[in-house]
This record gives sequence, structure tokens and C-alpha cells, in this order.
Amino acid sequence: MDPDGLRDEALAAVAAAETLPALDEARVAYLGRKSPLKLALREVRDRESGMALNAVREAIEAAVAGKQEQLEGAELEARLATERVDVTLPPELLGSVRPRRRGTLHPSTQVRRDVEDIFLGLGYEVVDGREVETTRYNFDALGFPDWHPSRSPRASLYLDDETVLRTETSPAQIHKMESTRPPIYMVSIGRVYRRDTIDATHFPIFHQFEGLAIDKGITMADLKGTLLYVMQQLYGPERQVRFRTHYFPFTEPSMEPDVSCFACGGAGCSICKHSGWIEMGGSGMVDPYLYEFVGWGPEEYTGFAFGMGIERTAQLRHGIPGVRPFWDNDLRLLRQFR
Amino acid sequence: MKVPMSWLRDYVRTDATTEQIAAALSVSTAEVNGIDRRGVPGDLSLFRVGHVLEAEKHPNADRLQLTKVDVGEAVLQIVCGAWNFGAGAKVAVALPGATLPNGLTLERRKLRGEVSEGMILAEDEVDLGTDHNGIMLLDDALAPGMPLGDVLPLVEEVLDVEATGNRPDLLSVYGLAREVAALFDGELVPLDDAEPGRAGDETVNVQIDDYAGCPRYVGRLFRGVGIGESPVWLKARLRAAGVRAISNVVDVTNYVMLALGNPLHVFDFDTLHGGRVVVRRAGPGEQLRTLDGTLRALDPRDLLIADADRAIALAGIMGGEETEVTESTTNVLLEAANFEPIGILGSSERLALRTEGSNRWEKGVDPHLAGPAATLATRMLVELSGARWVGAADVQGELPERAVIELRPERVTAVLGLDVPDQEAILERIGFERVGDGYRVPTWRARDVTREIDLVEEVARFRMGEIPFTLPRRDATFGRLTRWQRLRRVAEDALVGCGFSEAYTPTFVADGDYRLPEPLSSEAAALRTALVPSLVEAARQNVAWGNSEIALFEIARVYPHGDGGLPDERWHVAGVVEGGIADVAWTVEQLYSSLAVTPAVEEGDEQLLHPGKGARTAEGWFGELHPSLLDGAWGAFELDLDALAAAAPEALTYTDVSPFPEVHQDLAFVVGDDVPAAALVAAMLDAGAPELRDARVFDEYRGAQVGEGKRSLAVRVAFGSPERTLTDAEASAARSRIVESLASRFGAVLRT
Repeated sequence: MDPDGLRDEALAAVAAAETLPALDEARVAYLGRKSPLKLALREVRDRESGMALNAVREAIEAAVAGKQEQLEGAELEARLATERVDVTLPPELLGSVRPRRRGTLHPSTQVRRDVEDIFLGLGYEVVDGREVETTRYNFDALGFPDWHPSRSPRASLYLDDETVLRTETSPAQIHKMESTRPPIYMVSIGRVYRRDTIDATHFPIFHQFEGLAIDKGITMADLKGTLLYVMQQLYGPERQVRFRTHYFPFTEPSMEPDVSCFACGGAGCSICKHSGWIEMGGSGMVDPYLYEFVGWGPEEYTGFAFGMGIERTAQLRHGIPGVRPFWDNDLRLLRQFR
Repeated sequence: MKVPMSWLRDYVRTDATTEQIAAALSVSTAEVNGIDRRGVPGDLSLFRVGHVLEAEKHPNADRLQLTKVDVGEAVLQIVCGAWNFGAGAKVAVALPGATLPNGLTLERRKLRGEVSEGMILAEDEVDLGTDHNGIMLLDDALAPGMPLGDVLPLVEEVLDVEATGNRPDLLSVYGLAREVAALFDGELVPLDDAEPGRAGDETVNVQIDDYAGCPRYVGRLFRGVGIGESPVWLKARLRAAGVRAISNVVDVTNYVMLALGNPLHVFDFDTLHGGRVVVRRAGPGEQLRTLDGTLRALDPRDLLIADADRAIALAGIMGGEETEVTESTTNVLLEAANFEPIGILGSSERLALRTEGSNRWEKGVDPHLAGPAATLATRMLVELSGARWVGAADVQGELPERAVIELRPERVTAVLGLDVPDQEAILERIGFERVGDGYRVPTWRARDVTREIDLVEEVARFRMGEIPFTLPRRDATFGRLTRWQRLRRVAEDALVGCGFSEAYTPTFVADGDYRLPEPLSSEAAALRTALVPSLVEAARQNVAWGNSEIALFEIARVYPHGDGGLPDERWHVAGVVEGGIADVAWTVEQLYSSLAVTPAVEEGDEQLLHPGKGARTAEGWFGELHPSLLDGAWGAFELDLDALAAAAPEALTYTDVSPFPEVHQDLAFVVGDDVPAAALVAAMLDAGAPELRDARVFDEYRGAQVGEGKRSLAVRVAFGSPERTLTDAEASAARSRIVESLASRFGAVLRT
């Protein structure tokens, strides 16, 4: 027998089948127990013809499976077409509307609203800039040196050489500075991105809130006072705040704020890693470089900036372990946050 | 960096405790992540220097020795498994009752019939090393009974210090000692600059071809080097600092790097072709097998150490295998150089090779440090390996001038909000020199401190706790959510009220208008253009977890193609709900209503929806989810929240409630199945104006009475006027206009 001829004939028959029964007929004819192919396979004695015939069998089987999926899909679509309803009817005529338990806001949204309200009370505006940024706004404008590890494609998510998913919400601050003159009091809140492998404590997306205040006569004392107020609002009026020196490209001097541990009151526990203090993020005085970048004099104004994590805030407030629960969307978890 | 306190205290004299030092460094210098307490946990007085008086084979065991050891007030019988000592040796002894670092507490007990009153210690038993081949042999000059803690670092506290990237000077014990001295007004012990005597005057042939990459190269030649183990104190320090001891010569290079922050390298001098060293960039096609055994293809940007013929080390990163110092080495060339950071960082990234050395170079090492590093290493090599120092070279290009930066005292006050009258004293304690109105920057801070604001920071970090807590004094305030932000809250609350819980799903999907050149995974390769597919996935997982009454919504951005290279980021609101078309239609109606927008609903053909149960509005779509996506009946919607917010009225205007009663009637029309109810109602409102005030479908009927392909839609209508009560004639005239209009537009027939 001629394997190629048989294959072509079978494939043509499969292609011609317009219905599922017709396809089944073709399948029996070419792959059934008594089909010429199966009979020939039983007679095979040498390796070459066995391989050739099996290749034919596999080709026909694949064609049948493909056609079957296509016909089943078409059949489903045809059936669905008969189930047509007039979707413009009022909902109550489209079926029964089930009463539902009230839903919940995601814990990150609850923190976002708290942060918004705290800063509104301090007289700040809330801004959320774009997430896809140019490297000019995400790095250059913020004084990231060429060697800074955040610029590496191993650390950040690039779309092309000049386009990056923002690694902090700070670009929004530069846009603001370019569009207006101080006084500026703003907090930007939104998604930021890092190239992280997903595990219990890492996810490539998280949310930040970053504050910026630029005015005449702003000092580090104002930064300390503002963050003390914000931390007491978020974590309770007993909280204390201390500052540790640090390094960030866009602030000078730079400091990391710590808040006194609310679980142990400073005595030391697992939440504060036995230090009595919990790290909160970064902060500092706006580097004069930024004023020059937007074309202001370096000493016309002073200002401060700080940034913290929304998820981290929610973790600390609710005792949520890791970051995965924030992205699992498990209703057993979400429904706890009424 | 791991910093053993005993080492730190070699360089700084202060009464401050370890805890005080850790706390102060954390606030003003670099974060201390923890204090690791190593070594003997309990009573140190039970560890002594012992003098072995007798040592013989144990009468009942071939592999044990029976010894008599003088430990001061007594002579004890101790059974020992080691044979590397005999009578006369000075050894380390733990007495009964002593607790070892592994938690074992010793007791007086019989071993093979003989009493053993303690233990003669090997270095691993007190956490000073890994060697268990024999016991530690101590200096013969020590007196029996001396506290062992005076001789060996039996207890060590180790600070885990995390220096920020701008402070390479803190990647050294001495650099941290300088900060501790400033913080506690302690005394910084000056570095000993005494060179040991030279035992020869051989030429060391060093040539720098690239002064930009290597501003300085100190080479020193040693002959008669005895390679061997380092003494216990040195091994113990390296061990506490997290560095493996290898041999005395290699250990010295690591020790000096940790002590001062200048990485060093040693070559087996006899393996260098031409006996010379050249610092140059790699040539085309050049290769080097590094110490880790890997053959590396070099890039013309890579800085090399070469001999007369070939590459022998990747400058600052790793040495070559062929010139490595081994047990048989007798002549050593020591390299104490300075390399420029950006080039080292580039090579280290290209080769994916990071070492303790590259980590320091890439942050910028003080070029003036090579001299003191060479001096300390020379002293240690001569002392520990018996080597003779026979030759030296110090080749340098132009080292940078030390900058003088002006500092206005009032600028400190303006930035800090605190007067710091002693700012000059603070700066001088960390190495800045007062020059006129400014300060000369110490060489180890040259890269980091270049502007006045950097000097302000230096002052600030020593006054962090004293800066008061104040709030900005404001002339203007603008604390209000934008209209869009307020509407987002309204939409969130409306959906929560409809029974939806809020989900956060990832930005990334398999395909979209913008792809990541380096995807996170095949499922996270592009920016999404719709939210529903992510919510379907979240719903599917909730089904798998056995959750019921699933209803999820999300408000997030999508990233369709935009002008000028960046996506047109738009906010969407979307939801997925267990239930059918009615549930989702009701939810969408509630959502629109919460924003005071009336949806214009039409039939839609969204791919994700059931083909017969999909609707479209001006802002998006809703309907029953296509059954191939999830088992059972599900509803889904996706709306452009920016468009929805734009459609919401800016302001609501009051309308008088009419005092004149409306006339309500129920009208039923038989129309073709293909006429959408919404189109019928819209036509009614159009034809019935102005008397027709409201119309809502309240019943749909199909059956024999209305005929095949047709249905009856019953509509409740209200006729009225704000000016007067309508007469029957006026109402029926409006009704007639409606009936005629529907008849002509849709062939609708009024049922009577």
C-alpha cells in the first residue's frame, strides 16, 4: 500500500467532515480496527515501513483531534446562538438577581484611603502619575548615577532602552515640579515595579506612597514632625519615630524612619526583629540637583520627600505574612477585611 | 560586612558597649542588622592554659592518650584523642563544668576505665576554626593556669553592618572604627606606618598602560616565603568575619582587605613570564582561566594584570589560576593597587562575577589606601611566613586633588531646622580639615562628598536625634481629592455594596500591545489591555479553593497602544460574578447609577462573552461569560472608568417636584424578537415627549398568543406635566403618537 496516498485521502476525508457524526465515520474508516491502515500495521515486519505507517497514523489522529475541537466549538457556538436573550431588558427581566453578602475593599485599598485621608488632613493633594515612564524621568531626573543597580535590566522592567515600568512613584513628583511652582505638598500613590522572582516576600509589583513637600523654609525638622504625625495616625498615638542616616539618589541628607514597635512597645519581639524599631521606608531632603533639573535656583526652596510601601503598611497593621496574600485574591482572606 | 568587636577595638579606644556602638552606628553611619555572639557561651574561668606534665598511651585504648596537665591550682588527669603533642606542651584546657560553643557541658567521667577531668581543646571545639586534626598548641612562654580567654578570642561579638553604596570606606574595620571614635569621642588608634626591614634591593618591574583604569600600583616582592597555616588568632578573626582561612599568605591579603578596605592580590612570582607586571586592557580574543577554574573570554573593556606575555588576573576581580600562590610557592609578588570603579563594575557585570574585591572597587576605594595596605601586608607576611622583603615599586598616575568645599554655618541650620554650633568639631572628628570658609575632604570620602549639601549631611547624621519635630508653616493649602479620585471611591463602594470583593491582579499577561523584551515568564510577558481575563483567573482559583458566591472586582490601569511611544494608560473597572446575565446587568446598572450616568445598552459582540448574552455600552461591555472560560454561569463586565467619570455630571441641578399627579398606564406591544427592549423604550420616550415622563419594561412574554418570532413587551409609562394636570385627551394623544411611532419604526402592535 502507499502510505502517502492513504494519508492524503484520510486527511481530505477528515477535512470534508462537516458534523461530529461525519467526523466519527471518517475516523472509523481510516483509524478503526478494520481500517486498511490498522490492518497494514498488523502486517508490518520491518522497521522502515512501521515507522512510515505510524507517522501516517499520527498525522490522521492529529487531524481528527483538530477537526473535533473545531466542530465541537462550532456546535457550542451554534447552541449558544440559540440561547440568545435581549440584554437590553431591565436586569430583573433577565433572570433572578441573587441577594449577596456585602463585599469588601482590598486591604491595600483600605490603607490607600487612610493614607489619602491623613495627607488630605495635612493639606496635601493626591497624585498618581503614569506607570510606564521614560528613563529620563524614572532615573536621570532623580539623580540615579550611571552605576546605580536599579538601572540594570536585572533589577528593573524595561520595555525598551528608554522606557521602564516606574521603580518608584517619584517620577510623578518631577512632572509636578515641571508643571508648577512651590508650594508643593503632594502624595503620590500607586503601582511600582521591580524585577523580582515571585516568592513569599517578593512580587514584581507593589504599591508605594511617596510624599513631597517643597516650600520656602522647609527643614528636616518638618520632615521629622510630618512623619511622626503620619506614623501616629497609621499605627497609633503612642508611636515614636527615630531616623537613621541612609543613602538615596534623590535626597541629601537621606534618612530611614523607624517607628517604635507597636507589638512589643519597644521591648523587642519577632515583628521588630528584637530591636524595638520597625523600618518604614526612605526619606530625606530633596537633593538640590532636582531643583536644577527643573530649572529652579538651588536655594530658592527647600523640601523633603519620603516613600513607604502600602502592602508593608497593611502587613504591619493586620499581621499579614508575606506579600503573596495580597495577590492571591482568596475570598477567605478578602472577606476578613470588612 | 561582619565586624568582630575585638578587631574593631584594636583600632578605637572607647568605653562604649557593643550595644551602644551598634545603636549609634545604626543611627549615624550604617545599619547594624544584628550582633552575633559567638564562641563560649558560659563561664570563661573554666578555660585555662594547661602545661602537659605527662603524656602516655591510654592503658586500655590504642588511639587515646592519658595525660597529666597542670592547670594552675591543680594537676588534672585528662584523656585525649590527639597525638600532636607530648609532655611539655602548652595546651588549651576546658575544666569539668565548662560549656562548649556547641552546647556540650563537660563532666568528670571515666573513659575506658580512666578518669578524665576535662578536655584538651582543638580549634573547632571553641569555634576558632574548622581543624580537628589535632589540639591547639599554645606559646611555650604562657604560664599554666592563665585564663585562656586572655590568649585566645574565646568569645567574640560580631556586628553585621550594612553599609550603603556611597560609603565604601565603611567596608573596613578601620573605617568603622573611625566612625565609632567620632560617635563616642573615643581615640582612633593611628595606623602603624613602620615598614619592616628590607632584605634586598631587587627591581620590581611594574608598568601601567592605563592610568585611567589603574591610577596606582604598589608591587612588593618577597622571597623565601614559607606557605603554611595562619596562627589561630588570625584564622579566628577571618572566621568571625565570614572569610575562609586558606593559607598564611592568602589570609594576610584578606585580613588587610577587611582591616583597611583595600583588596590585595598575591602572585607566585616564579610563574610570571619576564618577571614583570603590566596593567592594560584585554586584547582581541584574549582569554584567562580564573582562580575558580573558569576559562573566561575577555572583552577589550576589561582591565587586566598581565605579565610579559599573557593575562594573569582580572584586575580587582579575580586572579588567574596559572599564577596562583600554592603550597609550593616560595617567591611572592604582592599587589596593592587602586582601580577605577566603573570599569570594574562593567567587567564584573559582563562576566557575572562578583567577589569581595569587586564589591569594594566598584564603589570606589581611596587611592591613598594602597600604601598603608602594602605596609600592613608586608609586616604580616614577614612576621607570619618568614619571608624576606626584597623589592618594591610604587607606580602612580596623577592622584586627584583633595577638594575644599565651602560650608556656610547658617546653611546647616536652614536645612536641619537646628543650630549646630559645634559643626566644625563634628567634621574634624571624621577627617575633614578646616580651610578658610570650607573644609578639605578626606581622601576616603572624595567620591561621596563633593557639594555643600553633602557636608550638611555629614553634620546632620551626628545630630539625627536632636533635630526637633515640627510641621511646615503653610501659606496655602489644597487638601482635597480630585473629582476623579472621589468618583473612584464612589465606584468602589457601589461594587462592594453589590456584593463584590476587591481583587488586585497583576499588570502582566501573556500578550498585549506592549511586550517585555525580557519577560518575567511566558504568562507575564506583556502589559494587559483588559482586566477581565485576570479576574477570570482569580475566580478560577477561588473555585479551586472551594469558595462560594464568588464576586470579584478590580479598578486598575490597562495599557493599550498610545501616541509617542508610551501606552495610553487608562483606568478600567471590571468584575466577574458567579451567577448569570441578570446579576451582572443589575450590578452594572447600580454602578452607573452610583455615578449618576444612564447607560445606553446595546447588544454587543465581546469575544469573552456568551455570543447571545453580551451587551455593550458607550463605556464598555457586560454580559454572561463565555462558557468555555469557566464552568457554570458567570457574569462579567469591563468599563473604562475614565470615560465613565467623564460622563458623570459635574454638578446636579435641582428640578421642582411637579405638584400635578402623573397618569400611569401599562402598555404591551407585540414586536419582532430582534427589536431590543432598550430601542423600543428609547423610541417611546422620543415619540411621547414632553408628556411621557418615564417608561420601563416590566414584563416580557413569548408564546402562541403572540406568534412565532415575536414577543410581547409590557411597559409601565407615566404621563405628566410640571404645569398642570394632564387631561385624558392630552394623555391619549401622546399615547397615540407612541403607538404610531412604534408601529412605523418596528412594526409593533399595541395589545388591547
